[in-house]
Amino acid sequence: MPMTQDNEQLYQQRLKRYVTAMRNEKPDKIPIRPFVAEFTAKYAGYNCQQVAHDYTMAFEAAVQCARDFDWDAVVANMVYVWTGLSQAIGLKYYATPGLEIPVDTGFQYREPPEKNAFMKPNEYDALAADPTGFLYNVWLPRASNDVVEIGSPSTYRNNLSFLKGGMAMLSYFTAFGPQIQRLQNECGTVSAIAGIFKAPFDILADKLRGYIGLTMDLFERPEKVLKACEALMPHLLHVALSGADPDKNVPIGFWMHRGCTPFINQEQFDNLYWPTLKPIIQEIWRNGHQVLFYAEGKWMRHLDAFLELPERSIVFHCDHDDIFEVHKKIGHKFAISGGIPNFLLAYETPDKVRAFCKKVIDEVACDGGYIMDASAIMQNEISIENIKAMTEFTREYGVY
Amino acid sequence: MKEIKIQQPTPKPGVCIEWEQKRKELPPIQGDEELFKRIWENNEALAYMYIWQVLLSF
Repeated sequence: MPMTQDNEQLYQQRLKRYVTAMRNEKPDKIPIRPFVAEFTAKYAGYNCQQVAHDYTMAFEAAVQCARDFDWDAVVANMVYVWTGLSQAIGLKYYATPGLEIPVDTGFQYREPPEKNAFMKPNEYDALAADPTGFLYNVWLPRASNDVVEIGSPSTYRNNLSFLKGGMAMLSYFTAFGPQIQRLQNECGTVSAIAGIFKAPFDILADKLRGYIGLTMDLFERPEKVLKACEALMPHLLHVALSGADPDKNVPIGFWMHRGCTPFINQEQFDNLYWPTLKPIIQEIWRNGHQVLFYAEGKWMRHLDAFLELPERSIVFHCDHDDIFEVHKKIGHKFAISGGIPNFLLAYETPDKVRAFCKKVIDEVACDGGYIMDASAIMQNEISIENIKAMTEFTREYGVY
Repeated sequence: MKEIKIQQPTPKPGVCIEWEQKRKELPPIQGDEELFKRIWENNEALAYMYIWQVLLSF
């Protein structure tokens, strides 16, 4: 559908509003950029199975929400893991709605027990020597039910995993272009982020050694962990820049998992997590891109470290931290998003939602540099009435 | 805090098998070697992105 003049104008207004706030400046109004995942399914009349396993339904649900709510920016598909693709590859680690979990539960990542970790403690040198080769030759055969290990006889399923996986990924990723265009043309809505990034430490914890295994390694072989993180750095930088917004408007999404205390201690943060993360963020900024720190959990004890980064190089998304304290600490240097508790949006009344939004607007957003959003990704427990309240109140009250 | 520099590894980010390695397996190239290199690396980028996206996104 070609874009109407109204939608074109709306899109340009919203883009300017969103980008201005992310640069820690004061726009005309507070931008609203909710990270709505399975909430879109609930609103549009789908279940979790449908939006996880058929991305065209997820895309449709995202468009329906963008059309009906006055939001400045959304993620083109926040139910990002297409379980059809994970099934095509034979990945072991997802629980898919309708298979391992109920139809209306969002997909889940299942970390294997320590003894079944996809990388063994004595394999750090092999990973560090050639991370890409290690992923293909060692990691994938363990993470997939269909891919066979190097040296074993090949199988029909093995061959199909690569063919189907590759074709399915191409199909999925190339569908994002038209989806982003659709959001712009039909709804005047901005695509909120572009590209993906994770910290080297989190890659080890999430998909390779597992959290328990990695925490043991931090005591038993810390120098190997550091070497592996260093080896991952150029690749994670490359992937982040490959998917970044060529217009340099919207940030690269950085999904922060278990690099904060108490998952690791302060010394491990200082000597391992942060030194292997900071240079990547600096390099991304040198290339002209902001990074959205999607700070899942509590990161208050590490805000001093983040203040070492160049002004405006990041947008800090506030999850369980006290957003008012976060603002006092880093608001002079970086924009902040989120901070509206998911519990409030799921289970409390619209009046309570409005009251909390007012407090955030008064105390955090008063000088600009704030983007309205929940604390965490919104799944299907979030109340539609409460999202309406958050949206309408912000539009009404959040005018500069 | 120790300053860590981002390394330039081999193979370089964006490819699984470098052109220089593949080049040795080929007969003497006639015509435009740059074209062979460019197409090789473009296709390598797809294989590279596949495994890193599986790791990061899925």
